[in-house]
Amino acid sequence: MTGRTQLANIAKSMDAVQISNVTKTFGAVTAVGDLTLAIPEGSVYGFIGPNGSGKTTTMRMIASIFYPDRGEVRVFGRQMLGARSELIGYLPEERGLYRKMAVRPLLEFYGELRSGRSVAREVETWLQKLGLEQWASNKVQALSKGTSQKVQFIAAVVPAPRLLILDEPFTGLDPVSADLLRDAILELRRGGVTVILSTHDMQTAENMCDYICMIFRGRKVLDGTLASIQDQYGNDTIRVAVEGGIDSRDSLPGVEKVRDLGQVQELRMARGCDPQEVLRALVARTRVSSFSIMKPSLHDIFVRIAGPEAGEEHSA
Amino acid sequence: MHRTLLIAKRDYLATIRTRAFIFGLVVAPLLFGGGFLGVALMESKPDIKDRRIAIIDRTGVSAASVIQAAQERNAKNLFDKTTHRQIHPRYVFETVPPAAEPELQRLALSDLVRQDKLYAFVEIGPAALHPPQAPASGKDPRASEIALYSNASGFGEQRQWLTGAINEGIRRVRLAQLGVDRARFNDILAEITVDNFGLVARDKKTGKIEEAGKKNEVAEFGIPFGLVLLLGMIVMVGSSPMLSAVTEDKAQRLVEMLLGLATPFELMMGKVLGALGVSLTSSAFYIIGGTLALEGMGMAGLVPVALFPWFYAYLIADVLFLCSLAAALGAGCSSPQDAQQLAIVLLSPVLIPYFMLTFVMQQPNGAISTAMSLFPPFTPLLMLLRQALPEGVPAWQPWVGLAGVLVFTLIMVWAAARIFRVAILLQGKSAHLSDLARWAIRG
Repeated sequence: MTGRTQLANIAKSMDAVQISNVTKTFGAVTAVGDLTLAIPEGSVYGFIGPNGSGKTTTMRMIASIFYPDRGEVRVFGRQMLGARSELIGYLPEERGLYRKMAVRPLLEFYGELRSGRSVAREVETWLQKLGLEQWASNKVQALSKGTSQKVQFIAAVVPAPRLLILDEPFTGLDPVSADLLRDAILELRRGGVTVILSTHDMQTAENMCDYICMIFRGRKVLDGTLASIQDQYGNDTIRVAVEGGIDSRDSLPGVEKVRDLGQVQELRMARGCDPQEVLRALVARTRVSSFSIMKPSLHDIFVRIAGPEAGEEHSA
Repeated sequence: MHRTLLIAKRDYLATIRTRAFIFGLVVAPLLFGGGFLGVALMESKPDIKDRRIAIIDRTGVSAASVIQAAQERNAKNLFDKTTHRQIHPRYVFETVPPAAEPELQRLALSDLVRQDKLYAFVEIGPAALHPPQAPASGKDPRASEIALYSNASGFGEQRQWLTGAINEGIRRVRLAQLGVDRARFNDILAEITVDNFGLVARDKKTGKIEEAGKKNEVAEFGIPFGLVLLLGMIVMVGSSPMLSAVTEDKAQRLVEMLLGLATPFELMMGKVLGALGVSLTSSAFYIIGGTLALEGMGMAGLVPVALFPWFYAYLIADVLFLCSLAAALGAGCSSPQDAQQLAIVLLSPVLIPYFMLTFVMQQPNGAISTAMSLFPPFTPLLMLLRQALPEGVPAWQPWVGLAGVLVFTLIMVWAAARIFRVAILLQGKSAHLSDLARWAIRG
């Protein structure tokens, strides 16, 4: 039985990744503190959090690039302990390609490095899939940033990972390229690949991820499906469109904060606030063209936790 | 192992396919041998302008004899015997009568030298013909001196030339004073060349005594020196780019991508083996080229074939050790500029033995030479030099030296791998040497 088959069998009906009480420090700085989470197999799992919160360190530990100081990381039930596996594809945040190599030999080199066999066929398939055939013989240094990023993505998915770790995969991509990459990621997920990605784009996290984990100052502060996270906050948000807009200094009964999005405004209600009273106050002042009560967006939740208004609640 | 070899193959091919590598193959020996080439070129274009020397003879009887000796030397050495081209400057002596105020006279003559009207002046003290055996109290100690005043450097060949001519002139005066017939002067003063031979040995098969061969300067000096120079050059050229290569990979963020595919040890060893492949390729080029050149010159017997296995054993160990060290140091740097500052640390195991070459060649089996050649970082160059010299070394020493080098190399590779693993993803600041030492010990 090959190692791949063994791992695949072990992986049946279990989490793709289990992180248990993991701590990683760099000198006096705790990058990740006592982190525990599980990533179900076949899901898209998104890490969100401010810069320097510990997302990349966590993903590097899953990819076995960093070793935890305490705790353990299991991938498909097995502790990796510094070993490399062809089952894991990793796209780092900083793009790293040999600038003087041509695209095809570079991808074949990376693929063979991961799998230990020739991957020429898979490389060709992916070049076609992402529309890069005409660049295959060009040196990397001649490519645009977006094209380089697609090349790097292919390097992460060739030959066939079961776990794909993508650190900021959409940064710097134009909308067309971003859609292409998104489709490719979702297709891999449909094929059973577990995808872990980090993003600063809350829309991407909301739309793509089955599970979202927010890490802040090295600690997990949110973990679950979007709906379960939003449920923690309840229907405390009103989205309105009013003539002349609402100034954040305007006082409305029971409203804690006003977020002006331009054409619409989001109002955050304090506990016990009656939305009908807010509506009456608005109608008394101006013309209201739309009014809806909703759960907070991921963006809003993120800002509540990590924004300047956040108190010591989530501090280390 | 497959990943290590794959990285080694990529790095090897990426290096040897560049124009810089092919250019370096030719240019590096020119740079290293440039000093010798420069000396040879300068010697082919000697300064042959006449050199006027004033001579103050306070003995009253020596000047004419010194001038005659100088003229004979001029006649003997001025021209190349084959090409008849002038190859040495002519020394032209002029007698200056001693003045009553010696200091003023010396000052006046010094001014003439400064104005380039004289090359130098010589003052023969009044007691120079028969200097006292022990310094006599109360007498002017300079009375028995012969002084050469010039603004030429103290170690040029002119001093040696003038010393020879003046001594010969003085000796002739002494012989004349002893009443020796002038016709016998040349016979008495003729210099005899001492020929340098090896040792006589008995042929083990035939039992015949083999005559000692006349020593060949190329074999005695050129081959050992050239072999060590070649080893040092290949090691330096092969290992120093590793420092900047690792730093550049780190700066270009290539490292994190590679670390997702290979372990730090596989990555480092792949790079080190790639560099070793490049060094072996260069060495093959030079060794084959040098051997063919010697054969072409009819000196095939001088090719030190027996030393080639040692040469390659030392080469492999030295490149592995220095490349691992370079990879560790490079991993600890945050920019190529930082890496450049560490280059001197990296190259010290080659540079220090280079400074010691002359000393070791003069005393190859002295205590210091032996000890230094058994010190692992210096063993490859210094032991090879001692092995290549005619004196040879006790049979156990190269084996002990090689064992030391191999153990040292293994320790260095192990420590470098530990440093590399921690330092390679360090961004934004360069590691101090104390950090490197801590990572090497604690991992």
